[in-house]
Amino acid sequence: MFAYYLRLGFRSLRRNPVLTALMVITLGIGIAASMSTLTVLVIMSGNPIPDKSAQLLVPLLDNNPKDFAADAKLPEQMSYVDATNLLAQHHAKRQTAVYGFTPYVESGRKDIPPFQSDGIAPTHDFFAMFKVPFLHGGPWGAEADANKSDVAVISTKLSEKLFGKTNPVGRRLRFNDRDYQITGVIGDWAPLPRYYRLIAGNPTYGDIEDVMIPFSTAVGQEFGNQGSTDCSSDSGNGWQAFLRSECVWIQYWAEIDSPSARQAYGDYIAAYIGEQKKLGRFPRAVNYKLYDVMEWLDHQGVIGKDSRLQTWLALGFLLVCLVNTIGLLLAKFTARAGEVGVRRALGAPKGEIFRQFLIEAGVVGVAGGMLGLLLSFGGLWLIARQSRSMEAVAHMSMSMLLATIALAIACSVLAGLLPTWRACQIRPAVQLKSQ
Amino acid sequence: MEIRPIFSAMLRSKTGAILIAAQVALTLGILCNALYIVNDRLQLANRPSGVVEDDVFMLSLSPFRKVADVKGMQLEDEAALRRIPGVKSVTWTNQVPLGRSSSNTGFATRRDQSPDSTIVATTYTGPGSFVDTLGLKLVEGRDLNASDVIDVGPDTADSIPRTAIITEALAKKLYPDAKSALGKQMFYSTGESAKVSTIVGVVERLQTPAAQAAPENEGKGEFSVIYPIRELDQYTQYLVRTEPGQRARVIADAEKALSTRMDGRVLLPTFTMNELREKRYRADHALAGMLISVVVLLLLVTASGIVGMASLWVNQRRKQIGVRRALGARRFDILRYFLTENLMVTTGGIVGGIALALGLNQLLVSTLELQRLPLGYLGFGMLALWALGLLAVLGPAWRAARVPPAVATRSV
Repeated sequence: MFAYYLRLGFRSLRRNPVLTALMVITLGIGIAASMSTLTVLVIMSGNPIPDKSAQLLVPLLDNNPKDFAADAKLPEQMSYVDATNLLAQHHAKRQTAVYGFTPYVESGRKDIPPFQSDGIAPTHDFFAMFKVPFLHGGPWGAEADANKSDVAVISTKLSEKLFGKTNPVGRRLRFNDRDYQITGVIGDWAPLPRYYRLIAGNPTYGDIEDVMIPFSTAVGQEFGNQGSTDCSSDSGNGWQAFLRSECVWIQYWAEIDSPSARQAYGDYIAAYIGEQKKLGRFPRAVNYKLYDVMEWLDHQGVIGKDSRLQTWLALGFLLVCLVNTIGLLLAKFTARAGEVGVRRALGAPKGEIFRQFLIEAGVVGVAGGMLGLLLSFGGLWLIARQSRSMEAVAHMSMSMLLATIALAIACSVLAGLLPTWRACQIRPAVQLKSQ
Repeated sequence: MEIRPIFSAMLRSKTGAILIAAQVALTLGILCNALYIVNDRLQLANRPSGVVEDDVFMLSLSPFRKVADVKGMQLEDEAALRRIPGVKSVTWTNQVPLGRSSSNTGFATRRDQSPDSTIVATTYTGPGSFVDTLGLKLVEGRDLNASDVIDVGPDTADSIPRTAIITEALAKKLYPDAKSALGKQMFYSTGESAKVSTIVGVVERLQTPAAQAAPENEGKGEFSVIYPIRELDQYTQYLVRTEPGQRARVIADAEKALSTRMDGRVLLPTFTMNELREKRYRADHALAGMLISVVVLLLLVTASGIVGMASLWVNQRRKQIGVRRALGARRFDILRYFLTENLMVTTGGIVGGIALALGLNQLLVSTLELQRLPLGYLGFGMLALWALGLLAVLGPAWRAARVPPAVATRSV
């Protein structure tokens, strides 16, 4: 009977074309609106490094001046003094300080004039901590950090721009009037979002910096910070004074052996602050906070309020579409009371009627779902046009594709339940009498 | 009137009416809040920056080799720009309005103030006139001039000038009780070593590079200070004001003029003030566009639902309509019946919708820090839905009115 009901369902699509088209379009639009916004939200709120997000910690230390209010917020980044002290103590399994700088690259080629690029300065641990894949070569070693060596890791994009498809490892990259030896080219790496370096909560999706050099080298070359710098007191004059100041401008990450080692790492940070107090720093009560990757993304407000608003709105819209479909299906089924009366009089039990009409509703749902899927791609295309970051985020994944189809069928069955139940209530005698 | 019979007829087929009312309620709830957000965002994006945006652009250059004589380079750049016909005014600047990258400091009115009671404002620094270059309106005092300007290099000890211009908004915030901020002392952060400047001028308005949203920041978007400083920075950034209508040509000429003297520097993309504004508010415009399209779709969907349901009712009642017509009812009476019925259903939905709109707004206020919904939106939403309902039902009602009285005599 299922196949027969299915055939009936398809045939009935044609019976009342305007009403049916309205239902299919309504469902399609509702599903498209909710699925395209939901896709963006899911990808935005996803875990960029699922297998060790709880082991990567950002410590924030309260180095505010004494006279700040008791509930003043912790500085969002770290001072140079603390970053270098913690790096030197090497307490965690791996650690890195990260800050951004601007390289101006000279290609030495006539066809490529000097251009501005973007860069970060981490330690060699960075690449293992964030599981950076390499296309050629690899990261620099610990000795490069210690010796402030002129070495660099570059992105595939920059490598192809300067060296074409050839392997550039061992060759020289010239920027900011100095040569750096290339040790590796980063492969296919598009963190969503670029969580290892968030500037003022503004996430970038799918893009990484083109040049990476050792932290110690960048500081040695006095490369200014490209990002936010916050000073609670005077930063003094000159680079050395800035390094000694309590200005925060470095993002610091530590990798612990397992999530359970977090407490111990916190104790270590507290002990460090205690030590520094003896040297006259940290004038306030010992105060620090640890964030793992997901907590950090949440704390930085990475998922925009606008994205959340859009998703809520789209779900509300889907609800209206659903109510509308219920109404239209009801209209369609009620018009066929005579048909139900005849079938019931000929001996069909209520269950059969129920099955027939539910399958018919399902057919409408599948049609609406297909349309919804098509429109979802359209919606994502529109969202992707907003910005480069959105372009990286607005992609239909396999799971979201399946979810869309499931949502479509669920919606249509849900919409079909009430009208179907009403159709079952039809009393055959009344219908036959009025024929 | 015939409200009673319509009402009792409706009670006999409640489901359809309830569904339509529910849909109207949801639509009203979403409509009011969405339109409110749209209006809010568009207002945000249309706030004046205080700059004559149509005539101003920014141009920046970055060195990849250390420039030995930074001051000479800046002076020559400025001279080269000023030589271009159609250029009205030029200044080096550390930041640009709506440019989003800014340098901010806590300002104090007393040296012994606590650091976290200072007012955070952004500082524009440059040797030229911001008043002339950006077309700011000077409401009090005087503009800064060449004798105010100090040179500040990486190793200069005294980095804050004696004079400054501030915006009206900042003046009111710093000196709420004073009639005028002219001549007042303003401290660059606090404590023994805090440097002090005297305010010599007040401009009506100059937005900060971030142009913070208004309500939660209490005017912070206009807390700006202008210092007469020539920063001897390797990075160079110029603001240029042109004669009206000549900007596009001047930009081309300026890029050409600077590219001939660019040894060791990279010319970065040039932006007009209009482009900076567009970039600053792109997300707001995108959200507003999305909300408007959802609202339009929502209204279409709801209208289609009303059409569908009304058509059903008309079809079900063809015989009764025929009987009424045969008993002397005019076409107008039939039309009025369906319009009244629709009005009743829509009104029921609107009552629910008002509650929903307020509830939804409460949710937005608590989770997204939105402001409370002004009641005007509710009124507008109600009118819109009444009109929508009547328009949607007009077609089916018209068909009902055309049912001939003879239908009453047929047995189908």
